[in-house]
Amino acid sequence: MKALNPKELPTHSQAEINAKLEKMLAKIKATQWSLADIDWDAPGREIVTEDPVLYPKLKAFMADLMWIEHVGARGFAAMAKVAPTDTLKEIYTYFHAEEQRHANAEMALMKRWGMLDGDTLPEPNINIRLVVEWLDRYADEQPLEVLGSVIPMLEIVLDGSLCKFLLETVHDPVCHVAFEKINGDEARHLGVDFQVLEMLGFGKGYQLGIKAAGNLLNPKLLMGILSYMPLLNKMRDNLMALGLPEERLNVALRKYKTIGGRTAQGRRNAWFQIISRHGQLVANRGYTAYHKPVDALVWLTGKVPARWLPTPPSWVNELTWKPAA
Amino acid sequence: MTLATVKKAKTLPTQSTLHDVLIIGAGFAGLGAAIRLKQFGITNIAILERDTAVGGTWRDNQYPGAACDIPSNLYSYSFAPNPDWSEAYSGSREILGYIHHLVAKYELEGLIRFSQNVTGMAFDEAAGLWRIETAHGERHAARSVVMAPGPLSNASLPRIAGIESYQGHKIHSAKWDHGYDFTGKRVAVIGTGASGIQIVPELVKVAAHVKVFQRTPGWVLPRVDFAPSDGLKKLFRRAPITQKAVREAMFWIHEAMATGIVWNTAVTPLIERVAKAHLRLQVKDRWLRRQLTPDFTIGCKRVLMSNAYFPALQAPNAKLITWPIATLSEKGIRTVEGVEHQVDCIVFATGFDICKSGTPFPVTGLGGRQLNDEWSRGAQAYKSINVSGYPNLFITFGPNSGPGHNSALVYMESQLDYAVQGISALLRGGHKALDVKPAVQASYNAAIQKRLAKTNWNTGCKSWYLTADGYNATMYPGFATQFAQQMKTFDLADYRPIN
Repeated sequence: MKALNPKELPTHSQAEINAKLEKMLAKIKATQWSLADIDWDAPGREIVTEDPVLYPKLKAFMADLMWIEHVGARGFAAMAKVAPTDTLKEIYTYFHAEEQRHANAEMALMKRWGMLDGDTLPEPNINIRLVVEWLDRYADEQPLEVLGSVIPMLEIVLDGSLCKFLLETVHDPVCHVAFEKINGDEARHLGVDFQVLEMLGFGKGYQLGIKAAGNLLNPKLLMGILSYMPLLNKMRDNLMALGLPEERLNVALRKYKTIGGRTAQGRRNAWFQIISRHGQLVANRGYTAYHKPVDALVWLTGKVPARWLPTPPSWVNELTWKPAA
Repeated sequence: MTLATVKKAKTLPTQSTLHDVLIIGAGFAGLGAAIRLKQFGITNIAILERDTAVGGTWRDNQYPGAACDIPSNLYSYSFAPNPDWSEAYSGSREILGYIHHLVAKYELEGLIRFSQNVTGMAFDEAAGLWRIETAHGERHAARSVVMAPGPLSNASLPRIAGIESYQGHKIHSAKWDHGYDFTGKRVAVIGTGASGIQIVPELVKVAAHVKVFQRTPGWVLPRVDFAPSDGLKKLFRRAPITQKAVREAMFWIHEAMATGIVWNTAVTPLIERVAKAHLRLQVKDRWLRRQLTPDFTIGCKRVLMSNAYFPALQAPNAKLITWPIATLSEKGIRTVEGVEHQVDCIVFATGFDICKSGTPFPVTGLGGRQLNDEWSRGAQAYKSINVSGYPNLFITFGPNSGPGHNSALVYMESQLDYAVQGISALLRGGHKALDVKPAVQASYNAAIQKRLAKTNWNTGCKSWYLTADGYNATMYPGFATQFAQQMKTFDLADYRPIN
C-alpha cells in the first residue's frame, strides 16, 4: 500500500507495541491528579461571569464538552471489556476514569461560573441522550476495531481544536490550570489511541475489510452510527456558533489521518479508512449529499419527546463537580 | 505402607528439648498432626506456636461476618465430628470454638509451647536431627518436623501509594481491631474477595456510610444456609452415622463442582449461569450488574459465596466504587475520576502474604541448601509434603495442595496421615533420615504442572494462586479423591534412606 504522508514510520511488531503500552501504563499511574489539587475558588471567575456575550455560549459549549467527555469515558469502559491484553485493559480502565475526571473538572468549572442549577447535571441534548442509551445497551458488545478507531478521532478533535480554542477564548486562570492537566492526560490518551489504531491493522488488508463490512451489517452497530452521526452534526454546528473556525476542525481531522496512517498496518485498518473519510465529510458542510440526510436526522431526533426515552443509566449519576465526597 | 499398617512406633527417650516430632504452628493443621500422631502412638511431640493462643487463621480472622464458605460438617475433621454446629456455614468464632474443643478433647494443651516464634531451622546431617531456633533464643531438636505455618497466616497492609499519609484509622481484616466502634462512621473497604464480601454486610448495618473499593469482581454463588434444628443435632449425636452420611453427601456434591470449577468443561458455563442468575435476581440496576460481573472463567480465582453481599452494596448507606485508586491521602482515598473519598476508617480486606516462592523463615537442608533459594522461582515438593534435600520434614499445605472446590480439611487429613506414615517409617526403620529422591520429586512436579496447564487457574486471570511469573505452586489439579488417593500410601521406594 502506498504511503499517504512523507513521515512514514516502520511498522511496529506486536511485542514492540506491548512494551510501549507497558511503559505508558506506568507513566499513567505516575501522573495522577485529582479535583482537590485545583483551587476552584481562586480569583478570576468574573472574567467569565461578567462577559455577557461569552457566558451563554460558553455555558452551552461546556455542557456539550462535559457530556462528550462522559460519553467518551463510557466508550473506554467498553473497550476495557474487549482489550486483547491485560495491560491495555488496565490502561482503558484508567482512561475511563480519566475521561470521567475531565467531565467532573469541566463540571467544576461550570459550578465556579454559576452555570449549574444547584447540584443538578446540565441537561444533555436529545442526541447525547440517544448515544448514552446506545452505549449503555450495546457498546460492550462492539469489537475493539470500531471504538478503537472512533475514539482517537473524537479525542484528537477534543484535544486539537476544542480545548485549544477554549483556552484562547476563556482567560480565567483556573480554567487554564484545569485544562493544562486535562491536556496532559489527553496527550497520553492519544499516544495509546494511535498505538492501538496501528495494532488494529495487523493482518491482511482484505480480511480486515471483510471483517469491517461484516461489522457494518450488525444492526446494533448501525443503530450506534445512526445516533452518532446527528450528534456530530449538531456538535459541529454548535461549535461554529461559538466561533470555532471550520479550519480548526479540518486541521484536527487531517492530523487523525496523518498520524493514523503513518504506518502501512495503520492504513490497513479498514475502520481507520472509514472514519478518516467520514471525518472529512462531517467537517465540510459542502458535502450536501451527506449533510442533508444527517441534518434531517438531527431534526427528526429533535422531535423525539424526552419522555419517550428510558431513564438515563445510573452511570450518568456518577458525574460530580465535588472534589471530595 | 498405609496408615492401617502403621504399628506403634518406638520412640526416642523423652528429653526436654529433643522430640520425635516438632510441629510448627497450632492452627488446624498443627493440632490435627498432633492428634493423629498421638492416635498412632507417637507421643514424644511438641507444638511451637508463635502466638499466645491456638487457632491460627481462625484465631486471627475474627472480623465481623467472618465465616467459612465450606459447610461446617465438611470443614471439620472426620475423626472429630461436631454434632452441634449451629449453622450450615459456621462463623469464625464457632470454628475457633471447635479448635479449642479439639485441644481439650485430645489433651493437646500440654504439648503446646506458646510464644515460640521460629526464626530458622537447619538439618544436622550427622545427628539426623532438625535443629530449630526461636526469636527468644530457645533451641529445639527433633527427628522430624511438621511445618504447619498455614498458607493464610501472614497479613500486612498492601502497598498502595500514599498509605502512610492517611491519618484515619486503618484495620486489616486479619488483624481486626475489636475496640474500634464503627457506629456512625464513614468507612471504606478496600478489597472484594472472600473477606471483603463478608465484612461489608456487617459494616453496612452500623456505619454511617460504607464505600467498597473493588478492583476485580469475583464470581459469587448463592449459599444454601440454614440453622440445623435441635432434632437434627440430637440425631447426629445419637446416630453419628447420619452425620457421616451428610458429610459424605456434601463431599461428593463439592467433588462434582470440580468438573466445572477446576476445569473448563460444559459444566463451567452452567455454574457461571447460576452465578449470573444470582446477580440478576439480587441486582436490578444494569450498570451495577456490569460492574459486578467478572470477565474471567469461573474458578480461575477463588469462587465466593454470599447471599448478603449484593443487597448490602445496594443499601442506601453503601456504594460500590470501581474507579482505580490513585492514592491514599490524609483524609481518605483519591480515585482516578478525581474525587477524594473522605472516610474515618479504611478496612483493608486485601488478603494475605502467601509464600508461593519462599518460606516463612530460613530452612536449611542437606549440605547447607536453602529452601528459600530453591523455591525462589516457584515452590515445589513431592506430593505437596516432602522436599528433596530436606529430609524428615513434612509440610502441611505445601506446594500444590490447595483445593478450589472442596474442604481444605479433607486435603489436610490426607497430608497428616501421610506424615504419620512417614514419621513412623523413620522411627521404626532405624534410619537417620528419609529424603525424597530428586528424580521422584521432579517427575511428580512435571506431571502436576502438565495437569495444571489444563485447569481454570491457568487460564490467564491474575490470582493469589499464581506467582508474578504465572507459575502455579498453590493448587492441586484434580479431585479431592485423587489427592487423598495419592497420599494414601507412603512408598519407601520413593525415599533415599540416610544412615
